[in-house]
Amino acid sequence: MRCSDVEALWDELRGGLEPHSEHAVAHLRRCKDCQAVYEQYEGVAYCLTCLPLVEPPENLVPRILDHIKALRNHYRSSRSDSIARVASPLGELWIAWRDSRITFVGIDRGQDDEAAVAQIERRLSRPVRMAQAPAWISEAVDDFFATGRVDITRIDISELSAFEQAALRKAAQIPAGEVRSYGWIAREIGHPQAARAVGQVMARNPVALLFPCHRVVDASGALHNYGYGVEIKAKILQMEGYVKVGASKAAGRL
Amino acid sequence: MVPKTGTAERKPAATNAPSPLRSAEVPSVDRFERIVDEFQRRLYGFALRMTGNREDAEEIVQDAFVRAFRALGKMNAEQRADLRLQPWLYTITLNVTRNRLRSKRPTNVALDSLADPDALLNNTQEGPEGPEQIVERGTDLELVEGALLQLPMHLREAATLRFIEGRSHPEIAEILNQPIGTVKSHVHRAVRILRRILGPQVGRIVLAEEPVNAV
Repeated sequence: MRCSDVEALWDELRGGLEPHSEHAVAHLRRCKDCQAVYEQYEGVAYCLTCLPLVEPPENLVPRILDHIKALRNHYRSSRSDSIARVASPLGELWIAWRDSRITFVGIDRGQDDEAAVAQIERRLSRPVRMAQAPAWISEAVDDFFATGRVDITRIDISELSAFEQAALRKAAQIPAGEVRSYGWIAREIGHPQAARAVGQVMARNPVALLFPCHRVVDASGALHNYGYGVEIKAKILQMEGYVKVGASKAAGRL
Repeated sequence: MVPKTGTAERKPAATNAPSPLRSAEVPSVDRFERIVDEFQRRLYGFALRMTGNREDAEEIVQDAFVRAFRALGKMNAEQRADLRLQPWLYTITLNVTRNRLRSKRPTNVALDSLADPDALLNNTQEGPEGPEQIVERGTDLELVEGALLQLPMHLREAATLRFIEGRSHPEIAEILNQPIGTVKSHVHRAVRILRRILGPQVGRIVLAEEPVNAV
């Protein structure tokens, strides 16, 4: 074994664990040159070890945290929503939220998570990701099924158009157990000719149940057009205590 | 003299102490403040030794944490659970450092001339300013700091991680994404050059006890 080979093993020999160290150590015991080199290497390592750990300036961490906070706010406003399955009397719901406000409610159709997520992403036109539903979401769902009312400050539809938002907010004013027509909403929000457009808004409602598009019906009182099927719409209305009266009478009232 | 694990292991042993964060928690952006708190000192010290400049070190650490935050936000739970936080943070800090030094490199003639480490070995023996003159110029610690900065980047990385940060060969291999053999070779070459720069009396350099704010 040559001196240069032994030298190269110095850092490993310090730990004494290398399998080929026996030869090197044997060489080292005999070779004065290597011993001198080792002592110098050890001195170099020691010098480096002794370099002081310089403290960062006191404002470094606050500066970093400010930066992170700004990023976090930016992410909250622009990034993916969280999404979870939430149990309800109607079966499982898919609920998406961001920044403590609900952005999507849909009724589970029995598809797997991946398909549901993909569907909701298409619906919201932004990425979502699976998470644990926070307690306030379950509470909001329970409140809704208990009272038929919902706190719309907990819903975020800020990405919809002004017309869509107005129509959905108006729908939220229909008491549980009652229904209104598309035309009624159109008139109420100052677009009396826009009953058909209101129908489209209800069909695209991203926050089913909580924005109660199920309480909006045809002028004849017919329950057609519900994303999850007319049977579900009838079931929800029944749960809310709505008793369908005669079609002609309903037409007059609506 | 048969080598043994002596005083030189003092500091690495201390920095190896396991932290509660590393062992128990899956890193996440939600608890990022704790990660900053836990690692800022270490990464700042590392960046400072790599650059020799406080302002650079501060900006490097800030950039590194922002990069880490962004990257962590894109990982799913499984990726985060598998993440080895400390080596990962070193790697990010190192990448930021390299980028920064690369953009500054044209002004740093000393580093440029050291692409070939053997050239340095000759220079320090025969140059106008030998080790003795350097010693007379400042404290011993300043000399050591300066010597480290004279190393070419890849050798400085290896030596800093090994002896100042106290990382093992496998850890350094992970941080630098290099084979362990390469790491060992770089560490050895770095020590050889530092020995030449610091002079044959390096083993007897008496180090000042108080911290020196030399950089």
